Amino acid sequence: MIGRRKQPLAAAARTRASASAVLSATQLRWLGAMLIAAQLPQAPHLPLWIAAFGLMLVGVRLWLARSDARRPGAAPARIPSWALVVFALVTAWFVRLSYGGHLAGREPSVAFLFILVGIKFLESRTRRDGTLLVCLASFLLITPFLTSQSPLAALAALPAILGLGGALDALDRTSGAAPPWRTTLARIGVMLLQGVPLAALLFFLFPRLAAPLWGLPQDYAAQSGLSDTMSPGMISELSLSDAVAFRVDFDGTPPPPALRYWRGPVLARFDGRTWSGLPQRGEGTLASPGGPAVRYTVSLEPSMKPWLFALESPSRMPQLADDDGPGDGARSDFAILTPDRQLIARRPVTQVLRYTETSVLGDRAAPASALDVRLASAPARGNPRTLALARELRAAHPQDRDYIAAVLTMFREQAFVYTLTPPLLPADPVDMFLFDEKRGFCEHFASAFTVLLRDAGIPARVVTGYQGGEINPRGGYMIVRQSDAHAWSEALVDGVWQRFDPTAAVAPSRIERGIAGALPDGEPVPRFARLGGGLLKNMQLALDALNHAWRRDVVGFDNARQRELWRAFDLTARTAPWAIGAAVLALGAWGAALIALMAWRRRHAERAIVLWRRACARLAAAGLPRQAWEGPLDFAARASARWPQFAIAFAAIAESYAALRYADTSARPAEREALVATLARAVDVLPPAASLRTLGGAAR
Amino acid sequence: MAQRLKWRISCMRPFPMSVRPAQQPASSTQGIARALTQLARIVVGKEEPIRLAIACMLARGHLLIEDIPGVGKSTLAQALAATLGLRYARVQFTSDLLPADVIGVSIYDERTQAFRFLPGPIFHSVVLADEINRAPPKTQSALLEAMEERQVSVDGQTRKLAEPFFVIATQNPVEQIGAYPLPESQLDRFLMAIELGYPDASAERELLAGGDRRQHIAELAPVADAATLAEWQREAAAIHVAPALLDYVQALLAASRGFAGAGSTSGSDAGARRGLSPRAGLMLIAAARAFALIAGRPMVVPEDVQAVFPAVAGHRLAGGARSGALQAESLLRSVPLP
Repeated sequence: MIGRRKQPLAAAARTRASASAVLSATQLRWLGAMLIAAQLPQAPHLPLWIAAFGLMLVGVRLWLARSDARRPGAAPARIPSWALVVFALVTAWFVRLSYGGHLAGREPSVAFLFILVGIKFLESRTRRDGTLLVCLASFLLITPFLTSQSPLAALAALPAILGLGGALDALDRTSGAAPPWRTTLARIGVMLLQGVPLAALLFFLFPRLAAPLWGLPQDYAAQSGLSDTMSPGMISELSLSDAVAFRVDFDGTPPPPALRYWRGPVLARFDGRTWSGLPQRGEGTLASPGGPAVRYTVSLEPSMKPWLFALESPSRMPQLADDDGPGDGARSDFAILTPDRQLIARRPVTQVLRYTETSVLGDRAAPASALDVRLASAPARGNPRTLALARELRAAHPQDRDYIAAVLTMFREQAFVYTLTPPLLPADPVDMFLFDEKRGFCEHFASAFTVLLRDAGIPARVVTGYQGGEINPRGGYMIVRQSDAHAWSEALVDGVWQRFDPTAAVAPSRIERGIAGALPDGEPVPRFARLGGGLLKNMQLALDALNHAWRRDVVGFDNARQRELWRAFDLTARTAPWAIGAAVLALGAWGAALIALMAWRRRHAERAIVLWRRACARLAAAGLPRQAWEGPLDFAARASARWPQFAIAFAAIAESYAALRYADTSARPAEREALVATLARAVDVLPPAASLRTLGGAAR
Repeated sequence: MAQRLKWRISCMRPFPMSVRPAQQPASSTQGIARALTQLARIVVGKEEPIRLAIACMLARGHLLIEDIPGVGKSTLAQALAATLGLRYARVQFTSDLLPADVIGVSIYDERTQAFRFLPGPIFHSVVLADEINRAPPKTQSALLEAMEERQVSVDGQTRKLAEPFFVIATQNPVEQIGAYPLPESQLDRFLMAIELGYPDASAERELLAGGDRRQHIAELAPVADAATLAEWQREAAAIHVAPALLDYVQALLAASRGFAGAGSTSGSDAGARRGLSPRAGLMLIAAARAFALIAGRPMVVPEDVQAVFPAVAGHRLAGGARSGALQAESLLRSVPLP
């Protein structure tokens, strides 16, 4: 009957005008701010000219809008759409050019989108364009996560999310003065916070895909890390890098530093200068359980290499962390163990890989296969002086153990220097190192040691990997950096592979205290590998802890972890339909409760309207409907003329309703309540419609 | 039933002070009420036009009366001026009237050997511009400009008009031959356009029996003065307008703009094609505020808007007060209260 819709005309006018309405200056400003906020996080990943150009386009549009505002009478500055189309095509060509002739790949596409939003913004006139821009910005907002999913990237997306909210709010506001931007931002902030619980719920419950939608980083640039060859100077170069190789969460106490040998590529082939690995197939043997075992979870940074690292020596096959497989430890669906006991992933590690591993600590390992021994026994080439020395020593020490001890003693007693800046060794590097320079890094020692053993007929090989690791006190986990890269040797003694670390003979503190402890002051040790506190290092450790937690608990919350969580709630295939039904029911109940709450609040807030409608309905039923356009006072006067005996009630109803609806009572809530009470009582006083009808008849 | 009702009503708590008009007889309301009764004694049987005229004054607007001669236009103007204690002047607009006749002239004074400005009738507080459509456009626009600016420039000198300043212009809608009808833009300067119309039988009898109106006017004692009127105007401007009422006004404006298409029944009416401007909306609210003040209400209710709407919107929707008022009435009927 009356006032079915709250603002029929205004609402209709709004919808009519909405899509084609011209963007206001405020709306343009919000859209511009949103685009810039969405572009900025992506900008560092793009070629400079694309980043600058895309941002400039948005800036140009904002500048044009400003100059439009300065001359309100003049026609708005416009760039014809066809020109922009041509412009877009030219830009596409340039983008293609700067990505080496590709436009379809991920990075060129992102770059093109980056510029395209600017071009779209340049030609945006209507609200419809504005809405499209919001969609484009939402998409652009996701693109930085293709490169990095760090907490910093998430933080960088926040301004753009606020911008999105602000732009949507501005687009929705078709009439009336725009509120100050602070107010809008505060409102959007509150709304986002209100959305957090729902987002958290979806984070935990929304089914994840087992594999990402599109393969995350495949085209990484070369990463620093261990390679499958080793020549003099390679590891010392790597040691200058602060980059994190992997992080480890231990179940229980971490092993002492001297036992932290993270086994990586094993190199058995030597051409006189460079050690290289051998392509190997087949199953290696796991260390037999027994002795001090330690279980830990490695979060391996992407290295583009298949190496997996484990403490010497792994006694189980690695399992993906959070995997729900049976996990008997004998098999692994993503890694293999080679006969020389390297753990190798079936695919290069292109994103953070988390796996759980168990190792038996010790420097001795399972007996070798015949092939293994043969490969490690091949005589070393070149380096004649070394060979001569080996023969001389071998003559003095026919026993393998004695010989090895003699070599280690030589390293310890002669004036060998452990340094990060070894001299260049152009030819026969082992000879030059052993007899001329006597300065070297771990790879020199390992290489020379292994060559000496080989020349004496003892099967030996070089093992590369990481040695050490720093416990982050802020997260209780271990950080292993590239600067912890190390090389040591392995020799077959008494039919068992045994670890020998010649570096430890020269610089024992390298093993005990890490690289910085072993090197004299003045050596260019990477900053974060240095010992001691310092504010910067502390901050870095705190940041790293945050990063690690983020990786582990937010980014790492994948399909498998989700299933694990579900299982914790006893959610299996059998109970799933029930659970889903219950969830739907709960959701429905929640929605119904919400709707009821809103209705209740609406009624409560506008009780006056409800009461007024009730009175009007009663009078209409009694034969005196209110005209749709009729004001309350007029209607009351009409009703009083018909039923004079209720004139006081009609006046009370109309006046209190009019006061509630049209007077300024916002500052006096008590008065409002009094008015509502009066209105309610006056409506209560009115007899039912039936008796009114008879009374009305009598009055007439 | 009635007994029970009386008892229950007596139990009701009294209305809060600020919204119940009867318990707060502001001095302005009382003064305005006295002015209204006094005016009603002079201009008999015309309560509604008088109310609108007072509202127009309170809203600081100017009034256009469209009617035939002899229905009391001058009497109303004179009585208004006398009741409110304002100075009154009348200008009969003719086809040879010059702007200087309205505004005033500078004449050379031989004794002081300087020009002396003789202010024209426009420097009075209430100016009756009779038959405004008889004067040439130049004179019309001089008057209308003064109405808008509330000041005139003569010989390079700006002179302020009286405060309050209120123009009642009349025009005869019947004899338009040899007249210069006011263009729409000039019509827009008038807050309201009303008709007085013939008095009804009893009022006419009283009029005929009552004797000389001029005599009555001369005997009137003013109930207010310029300062009081200014105070009332300030009060009117401060009357509360609720968001719900603004919704209603916006709906009216929107409907007036859509009216052109729907109201093609009076196809010849060029004016009907124009909707109400935002300024018309502002004026509508100002007039409704004044009307609420007259009723002694601290807020504007839709009834106030509806009461002034035909007078405020009529001449803006159509060229004349009569056809416009009809349009405005039907417009009011078409817009439901939000």
